[in-house]
Amino acid sequence: MELTGLNRTDSATAGQGYYSAGQSLRLRRLSSRVSNQNATPHFDWGSSREGGEDGNEEEPQNVRELPMPFGLRKAVRQVQQMRIPVASRRMRQSRALKRFSAEAKNALALVTLWRRAIHQIGGHFGGGVQSYFVFLRFLVVLNFLSFLLIAAFVLIPGIVFHSLDLSSSVPQLPNSTNITGKEECMVYDPNPGALTVFYTYFLDLLSGTGFMEYSYMFYGYYNNTLVVANGFSYNIPLAYLLTASFYFIFCFICIIVRMGGVARVAVTTGGGAARSYSMMVFTGWDYGLQGDRATKLKKNNIRYQLQVDLEEERIKLKTQSQTLLQTVGLYSLRAFLNLVVIGLIIGAFFGITLATRYSQETDKTQNGILDLLLEYLPSIVITASNFVVPFLCDQIALLEKHSPSTTIILALLRAVFLRLVSLGVLLATLWLNITCNSKPDECIPCGYNYGQYQCWETRVGQEMYRLALFDFLTTIAVLILVEFPRRMVVDNCSWKLIKWVGRQEFLVPPNVLGLVYAQTVVWTGTLFCPLLPLVNTIKLIIIFYCKKVTLFHNCRPATKTFRSTSSNIVFFLVLMFGWILATTVLIYSIAELHPSFGCGPFRFSSTMWSTIPNSFQGLSNTTQEFLRYVGSQAFSIPLFIFSCVLLCYVAAVASVYGKSVALLRTQLQLEGRDKQFLVKQIEELTQKLGIPKHDRDPMVLSHGGAPWEQQQDGHS
Amino acid sequence: MGNKQTIFTPQQLDAYQDCTFFTRKEILRLYQRYRDLAPQLVPLDYTSKPDVKLPYQLIGSMPELKDNPFRQRIAEVFSEDGEGNMTLDDFLDMFSVLSEMAPRDLKAYYAFKIYDFNNDDFICKSDLENTLTKLTRSELTEDEVRMVSEKVLDEADLDNDGRLSLEDFQHMIVRAPDFLSTFHIRI
Repeated sequence: MELTGLNRTDSATAGQGYYSAGQSLRLRRLSSRVSNQNATPHFDWGSSREGGEDGNEEEPQNVRELPMPFGLRKAVRQVQQMRIPVASRRMRQSRALKRFSAEAKNALALVTLWRRAIHQIGGHFGGGVQSYFVFLRFLVVLNFLSFLLIAAFVLIPGIVFHSLDLSSSVPQLPNSTNITGKEECMVYDPNPGALTVFYTYFLDLLSGTGFMEYSYMFYGYYNNTLVVANGFSYNIPLAYLLTASFYFIFCFICIIVRMGGVARVAVTTGGGAARSYSMMVFTGWDYGLQGDRATKLKKNNIRYQLQVDLEEERIKLKTQSQTLLQTVGLYSLRAFLNLVVIGLIIGAFFGITLATRYSQETDKTQNGILDLLLEYLPSIVITASNFVVPFLCDQIALLEKHSPSTTIILALLRAVFLRLVSLGVLLATLWLNITCNSKPDECIPCGYNYGQYQCWETRVGQEMYRLALFDFLTTIAVLILVEFPRRMVVDNCSWKLIKWVGRQEFLVPPNVLGLVYAQTVVWTGTLFCPLLPLVNTIKLIIIFYCKKVTLFHNCRPATKTFRSTSSNIVFFLVLMFGWILATTVLIYSIAELHPSFGCGPFRFSSTMWSTIPNSFQGLSNTTQEFLRYVGSQAFSIPLFIFSCVLLCYVAAVASVYGKSVALLRTQLQLEGRDKQFLVKQIEELTQKLGIPKHDRDPMVLSHGGAPWEQQQDGHS
Repeated sequence: MGNKQTIFTPQQLDAYQDCTFFTRKEILRLYQRYRDLAPQLVPLDYTSKPDVKLPYQLIGSMPELKDNPFRQRIAEVFSEDGEGNMTLDDFLDMFSVLSEMAPRDLKAYYAFKIYDFNNDDFICKSDLENTLTKLTRSELTEDEVRMVSEKVLDEADLDNDGRLSLEDFQHMIVRAPDFLSTFHIRI
């Protein structure tokens, strides 16, 4: 009894790894053997809680986190409750509040979109695939909220003012424009003919021309009305511009918030050692996996990983003993292959430029499928290059002989660069056409290429709409024409080669890149096609269900582990990169390009941006003074200095924490060595002092402990 | 959904809510799962605190645990008698720790216990070899098992005593980004 009592207090201090000098070696050994699951390592029964109510409020939370068996936990809880004889009102309130917040969180989780489906996907395919669907859900919510924003401030006022056909609306003419010589630029006739064949409606839907061109879908339909009625004024051009800017800022904030959560996890885990054996052994098994097939695959996966890692170690040892000549050869090969890759990418860009030029400049006189194909030519070329070039790069990467993790990162970077910059190239070609870079004479009358584009913003919007739509059609087509047949062939055909190729594997990086690309297209296009977020929301919802179906029917779980945590942050970084590209496009269009005379809310301004200075005059004096102050140097320079100081402070705090972590780690190692040293010393001392034999517990000896114990046994 | 359930007294439900990470609804749902394993053994009325233990075979046949190579160890760690036979309390405790709301330290403590096959509060080389065998369907050669165990001890053993203590394990878990998402059973 006494021993167990001592045992209890021993285990309470066992966590610190320190034993007082009074306790002999025997007790320590005994305690470590006897302590079983029912030991309570870190809970101090005898402590008296000071601090009254504040300390007690945290305890209900803490009971759950105690690592002890359930019965003991309930006992602890009872003890805590008994210690508070009268539950004060504040205590009761705080408890009720905690319960309420738990229930509220529960209710909120019910409202979360597709919670059950994503849960199921994670169970069968693991965290990597689940992160793709979580990312998809994030984009759906983002697009839907953006659509609500645009609908509230641009679409609904537009509809209201159109239907009311306000004759009191005065087209706002800024004082400085001279429009006398520009009547020819104001002609805009989007509706070609009255009677059209029925199927052209379908073609128009796909290409954004015809009945769709002059509709709420595109920029050209909105008027530059300024409505002033009964003390209520609404300025559509200003609303359009501000909504577009706010939409971008809103998306930026959402991404940053999401990224912050992910980055916090990545930073606290120190970026994760790339392939650490201990992590693979102890955290490699996904406890959520169910099903015989999935678990077998996971076991094979882990075995494969371990074998690959051991092999990599051997190769690394071998390469370290490589000669200088071989290293130089390898690096020159890599440089050459990188040049080849860059050449391929530039070739793709060139193809896109040619296709865009051809598509924009050819007259589309005949209606029909040929016209549709011509309009879709840039999209087709972009999609084709997005399939072909990464495939070739993957084959080239096999020759480069990087380590597997480096190969994956390189492939991802190359694919990102290709996709987003090809979009940039398309836009640059369009822009060059609009500002007639090659033929400067055509731009003189109207300030933009009127000959080709009566309303250039709508054309750009149409191009973005087509890109989005084609991307969607390609995804569905690949699903139907490639993945389902592949599964049917693999399941029904018994050739060895087919079985070896096997079912489709759901690769997360290419799919996520597709999502980022689609989102970037939507961002660049929203200024010219306000309903594009709605189109994208519907598209993403359909893609969710299609991908889910194909995942469960056609795919097998991945053979290579996919580190979801560290890759999540890469996805958000790539999304940010797309956002930056879209913002550049936005700023350029707003500030530099001349809006069309014939259509849109900015038809009489010299640039889209000029609406803001013009409406600035309409504000009250104090607001003007305030805004002038905010924009002046007297405000911005101190702000800049202050943010620099804040940044330096945060960086300094971070480095101090890093240093203290390193210090603690070395301290831990030193303490371990101290413990061993002290143990040896105690052994020597007991030997010297000649502790009698009957004090040495036979149970301890038969435990077969350290070698020196056996020596003692044989000693006497 | 309100207060109409007659399985537990309100005090019992409160205690469960405080001692696990589950809400009221989830506790009742888990009770149903527990009962579905053996409807004739589990009474409908827990207000009298019956002493009912389900044998390990039933627990190990649950779809969430059936294919897990560590299911026996999980049941042994969370059961009162150490043999895998679980009462409702043990059942709730197990799924509470394995749920997504449990904090990292708590999960690390129980993970350590699960991988400690011989229950000596240390993960020694034989425990590691056991773990590896279960993880890879015994398809690694003896040499490879030995090499991997040595590497693991190299990396994680900070006080250099040839085996992993709870502190070593927890220190290593802190650096693992995926631990919270893999040590998680969805029920």
